[in-house]
Amino acid sequence: MRVLVVEDEPDLLASLLKAVREDGYAADGAADGEEGLFKAESSEYDAILLDVMLPRMNGWDVLRKLRASRKTPVLMLTARDAIQDRVRGLDTGADDYLVKPFDLDELLARLRALIRRAASQGQPAIEIGPLIIDTVARTVSLRGNPVILTAREYALLEFLALHRGKVVTRTMLYEHLFDENDSTLSNLLDVHVSNIRKKLGHDFITTRRGHGYCIETGK
Amino acid sequence: MMIHSIRWRLQAWHGFILVLVLAGFGFAAYQASRDNQFRRVDQELEREWVFAFRPGPPGRPPSGPERDMSRGSEPGEPSEFRLNRRLAMDPEAGAMDERNPFYYILWQADGTVTARSQGAPADIPPRPQRDGLGGRPLQRPAQPNIDGLPPTRRMPREIRTRGEFRELWRFTPQGGCALVGRSMASELAALRRLALELCSAGTAILVLGLAGGWWLATRAIRPIDDISDTAMKIAAGDLSQRISAADTESELGRLVHVLNSTFNRLEAAFAQQARFVSDASHELRTPVTVILSQTQTTLARERPGAEYREALEACQRAAQRMRKLTESLLELARLDRGLQPPNCKKIDLAQIAKECADLLRPLAAEKRVQIEWDAPSLPCSGDAERLGQVVTNLLTNAIQFNSTGGEVRITGAASEGLVCLTVADTGIGIASEDIPHIFERFYRGDKSRSGTQGHTGLGLAISKSIVEAHGGRLEVTSQPGAGATFTIKLPLET
Repeated sequence: MRVLVVEDEPDLLASLLKAVREDGYAADGAADGEEGLFKAESSEYDAILLDVMLPRMNGWDVLRKLRASRKTPVLMLTARDAIQDRVRGLDTGADDYLVKPFDLDELLARLRALIRRAASQGQPAIEIGPLIIDTVARTVSLRGNPVILTAREYALLEFLALHRGKVVTRTMLYEHLFDENDSTLSNLLDVHVSNIRKKLGHDFITTRRGHGYCIETGK
Repeated sequence: MMIHSIRWRLQAWHGFILVLVLAGFGFAAYQASRDNQFRRVDQELEREWVFAFRPGPPGRPPSGPERDMSRGSEPGEPSEFRLNRRLAMDPEAGAMDERNPFYYILWQADGTVTARSQGAPADIPPRPQRDGLGGRPLQRPAQPNIDGLPPTRRMPREIRTRGEFRELWRFTPQGGCALVGRSMASELAALRRLALELCSAGTAILVLGLAGGWWLATRAIRPIDDISDTAMKIAAGDLSQRISAADTESELGRLVHVLNSTFNRLEAAFAQQARFVSDASHELRTPVTVILSQTQTTLARERPGAEYREALEACQRAAQRMRKLTESLLELARLDRGLQPPNCKKIDLAQIAKECADLLRPLAAEKRVQIEWDAPSLPCSGDAERLGQVVTNLLTNAIQFNSTGGEVRITGAASEGLVCLTVADTGIGIASEDIPHIFERFYRGDKSRSGTQGHTGLGLAISKSIVEAHGGRLEVTSQPGAGATFTIKLPLET
């Protein structure tokens, strides 16, 4: 999962990026509205954390312009907590609203909920045959036995599970699992996929040659 | 509570005065009418008496009185009365019918009744005693106004009311006595009717007057009720309420005007206060968010020491920002309370500006901004430290919002009792829609202009407050794209 954080206060941006990355997301930052809009339109993000008071272009304008082309889930962050501000935020197309100062745990929980909702996955736990993926604890168990995965492996598995039944292209995986600072070495994905197959069973993830990867729904 | 209301008190006084006036008027009218009636009756009695009685003995020669007469009576003064012969021979006379309501009684000096009309009351009125007639002397001195009167009418006369009868009699010096009486029944009935009419008319007027008074009082008090109703709503927290005044020229209209303008100022003050608190909490939220998210992220797991250091430095920056903000807020609160600058001295504003400019040269050099200086001596009175704060704030803005390689021009002038210090920059200027708000607390126009970190959004508000506390003005003009010009105007100190 890849997240964009748009926030003009550098210390806050840094700590938000750190927190989001440590929670297993790929994350990019933008320090003003124009940069935020540019990044949001040019990459596939799974969610955007958007501050309202931004230099160059405020959060409302970013949101309005973004909604013309994208329906990426947006979580607005603002120090204004008047009812009309919240209503305005939600009416402009924000998916959620969080008032500063917020608790980091709540921010991450809302972020998870947003991504889940965007993938039409109501339950926080994904069950695929004997495999259960707990998206809150970020753990995987096979027939009741916990399976240890690295953060990247987990992210890859979760993304494929959320899109199960569909073919996920390598480009999509690069877009959603790696941030702009990661080098996109072409065999990195293959290494992760082969590691997951070793842990969960060889035919769990099928390879569609020339297209990408897929988790079949029947499994 | 009801009894003490203005309306009830007005009504009570109104009723009291009305009752007094009506009672006085009614009493006077009744008395006048009564006097009038009695005077008329008395005149009739007099006429009747003169008609009914003639001087002279009633037939037989009197014995005693002749001696008395010869002794001292005026010539022609009769010693006895006699009944008019026409009356004496008329059997109808004194019957007290409608044509003739009078009755007569004639006493001789010895007390015997010599004549008595038919209609005279059954109980013969006691013969009045001569001595009982106010002790008037029988031998009265001649009075000019009675000289022309016939002799009989010069005799002492008395009128009395006995029951419903009015009686007039005269005495001869010898003790003879003649009486004409009349029933006053019809007059008394008329007077009673008049009294009744006066009473009912008075009551009706009183009721009408009280009703009218109540109406007037209600009308006069209604605006007061309106005022108190609205004031109550305002007291209950609805500050947007205003008293409607139809007539602004009346006394109440002026009161309403004063109250409304007070409410206006109150509402504005409350709104400003609410906005200020909201803005202040908004400004405090960002650093608090930084501290919270930094600490929560950092404490989520074990980290190398350098990361803790980084997080602590971020927290320190946030805390310093909060300190600066709270200091600014406290300073504004002090200025709002209208405290005089504590350290007022004769100072030279140009000298202060020069010192500030020298201190800011490194910052200007960083942005490659040139500071131009051209100001004569600007003597004024004030707190050097506070005014220095204002100049520093203006210069810092002028440097930070300047274009790279631009210039800041400080000029001064003293004229017409004012000293003016002008700080002009060559930056992007201020958008015209932002100009009216530029001195408002926490106002931020385009974020790109105030993009510099560490700004509280209070600098210009504080500067304005300081200059105004010195009795001066802080003004701004700007052409977008051609820089902004701030001018401090202070009273000239000679």
